[in-house]
Amino acid sequence: MIRTTLLASTACLIGAAAAAQTLDVALDVPPAGLDPHLVTAFNSVLIASPAIYEGLTSIDNDLNVQPGLATDWTISEDGLTYTFTIVEGATFHDGSALTAEDVAASLRRVQSEDIASPLASRIDLVTGIEAVDDTTVELTLSAPFAPLLASLAGIAIVPAEFETDPEALQQTPVGTGPFRFEEWQPNGYISLTAFDGYRVEGQPALDEVRFHFVPESATAQAGLLSGDYDLLPTIDPATALMLEGQPDLNIQTTRDLAYTLIGMNASVPPFDQPEVRRAVNLLLNRQEIIDAALFGAGVPAGPLSPALTSWALDVSEFDCYTTDVDAATALLEEAGVETPVQVRMIVLPRQDARDIAQVAQQQLAAGGFELTLENQEIGTFVQDWRNGNFDMFVSANGGNVDPDLYFYRTFFGGGSTNVFQYADDELDAMLDEARSLTGTEARKEIYDEIQRKLACEGPVAHIAYADLSAAVAEGVSGYTISPIGRIADIATIDVAE
Amino acid sequence: MRTRFLLGRVLDLALVLLGVSFIVFSMIRLVPGDAVQIMLGANTEITPERVAELRARVGLDQPLLVQYWDWLSGAARLDFGTSIWTGRPVSAEIAAAMWPTLELTLLATLVGAGLSIPIGAFMARARGSGAEVAVRVGAIAGLTIPSFWLGILSILVVTSAFPGLSVLGYVPFTEDPLGNLQRMVLPVIALSLPMLANLSRLVRSAMLDAMGQDYVRTARAKGASARRVTYVHALRNALIPYVTSVGVAVGYMLGGAIVVEQVFAIPGLGRLVLGAISERNYPLVQATILVMTASFVFVNFAVDLLYAVLDPRVRR
Repeated sequence: MIRTTLLASTACLIGAAAAAQTLDVALDVPPAGLDPHLVTAFNSVLIASPAIYEGLTSIDNDLNVQPGLATDWTISEDGLTYTFTIVEGATFHDGSALTAEDVAASLRRVQSEDIASPLASRIDLVTGIEAVDDTTVELTLSAPFAPLLASLAGIAIVPAEFETDPEALQQTPVGTGPFRFEEWQPNGYISLTAFDGYRVEGQPALDEVRFHFVPESATAQAGLLSGDYDLLPTIDPATALMLEGQPDLNIQTTRDLAYTLIGMNASVPPFDQPEVRRAVNLLLNRQEIIDAALFGAGVPAGPLSPALTSWALDVSEFDCYTTDVDAATALLEEAGVETPVQVRMIVLPRQDARDIAQVAQQQLAAGGFELTLENQEIGTFVQDWRNGNFDMFVSANGGNVDPDLYFYRTFFGGGSTNVFQYADDELDAMLDEARSLTGTEARKEIYDEIQRKLACEGPVAHIAYADLSAAVAEGVSGYTISPIGRIADIATIDVAE
Repeated sequence: MRTRFLLGRVLDLALVLLGVSFIVFSMIRLVPGDAVQIMLGANTEITPERVAELRARVGLDQPLLVQYWDWLSGAARLDFGTSIWTGRPVSAEIAAAMWPTLELTLLATLVGAGLSIPIGAFMARARGSGAEVAVRVGAIAGLTIPSFWLGILSILVVTSAFPGLSVLGYVPFTEDPLGNLQRMVLPVIALSLPMLANLSRLVRSAMLDAMGQDYVRTARAKGASARRVTYVHALRNALIPYVTSVGVAVGYMLGGAIVVEQVFAIPGLGRLVLGAISERNYPLVQATILVMTASFVFVNFAVDLLYAVLDPRVRR
């Protein structure tokens, strides 16, 4: 007994000494790479931005655009020219100074065919990129594009020498952020250490941030309780419930920008008819789904997240969100749909999606839809989803900070993620108009109309915005959960002994 | 004679590896979706042209037979290509992930195979006693409890009993020997328990078999002690089926390691191959499975050699 206590306390001492000024973060899967222009998967972004990389602008925890590497900017009257002033004294981790040329080269890199960056569409409309002098960059657009400033927050600035190199940054990222890349033990951890050349005096507060890859959520929880980890930045509602009330840790919760959804294939009967899509919405009871599948931790979803306070309409504005089986049946009859309808629904391999699918199966049965659920493995799901090989699907999508960034690619006829093959000329015209305006009020008016239209008759039945929770050890100060799932305050977070 | 035996085994090994490589190559490609699609899965702002571009860059646009031949001729020169996702050489990825798995399976085999002999012998000698029944029930439990459940449970128990004790992840032995062993204790228990249970039962029944043989009665009749008869005469004969089972169990252990590494967040081969499969990282899947197959075959080769030591009749 004495011996075990001794062993345990020695381990405590060792643990405490090693943990000094290091923030240990547990993530479920390692990133595929750390090139910010190539890999935009959730965990890559969470690790790399803003700890390693910064953009011209940044997005704060309230989802407003803030200065980043650009201290300020001016927009020409016609909305076609943006002029950015680059911050002074910024240095890359390799020691070279940040200039306007690096900014221009980074944007060209994203647009380059050879690099094939998935971010390219965010700056599609940028036709001219010019470094006017060392601290000024001018961007010219082919058409006004209101979400440009928000888009630029997601585009990391890297040294100009990497413009044509698709390999090097994947393994050894180089940016201007408060932390520099130190070590990557595959499947083990990624370690970032404080960058002593960071332009803000006294930042970062930590010496090291270490991202551990822990696939089992039970293991991550145990590690948080034992002090191995200080922060679990994304935990599901079930885990949050289990950790709630444990000593020495706090649970932070915000509204997720990401959402769960049921997609309908607008190119196959009967879902090609708007009445049928409205009927599906009338049959669904979102609150019931949230209670059953998300442990009540979420809110019914409209097309935009309530986290986007300046854009989102409240779901009470959508008449089809009040469950009404009779009205749905009448609509289906009117549309000439013969029930029962056999429906093949593919399901994203995630517990919440599976649970949602089962509840929806019950609810839609009331209207005569007989759903066959296919729980697929991720690769198969992605392939079927992309090829439009489904009647319906249950999935989850990451959110965007500007309505255009979500709506245009998803619902515009022929849009890059319009897997539903949805086409509606009226909607297309509204989307085109909304992105050409720079005044927020005028844009909001159009997006209100778009939301009303999409909520009930679009190819997506938006289900829920879950609560997004993080579990933080007692000693961590300065961390606030962000609705876009980043560690936005990484430069100022500290860990007490 | 002996060279011929060795040559035959080496030829067997080559054939097994060739066969496995072909099966793995085809099977991973039969699974729908490829690396490019998965890479682009979540971030969907992409056009078909860009997909084709990316696919060409990682060589997925070639006909299958060409891809297989390219891979095979590379593998013959021990060049397994580069990982599609990270761009690092596959051999470097495997080398880095090999040590945790090697240490884990080695320790678990030592514990499982080592403890099973005294436990099995005890069960055979004390057959029917209360203690023996208790051990036997334990053995059945060890066989049936899944290691992931045991793993998670042991983490929860240990971390609540000793908060502050690091039991997760992996530290190389050369960096921090104490930390390394401390983190190995629970995974080794979780991984070795099924093997221990299985082998103890096997040793028990083999011993009981042997103890009913005529030569045991003869040994007792000529005055050898019960202990000597158990441990020298009966045990040596009981070891032959035991050694075969150890060889097979090591193979299963590689499978068990996948689960245990997942639970204890150990960056070994199991997690490497699991991640590679879900990412459709073809070169990595192929090479890792090849390495695992080769080690399984080698262990069984070693077992064959051990027979000769234990049973003089095999030497002929």
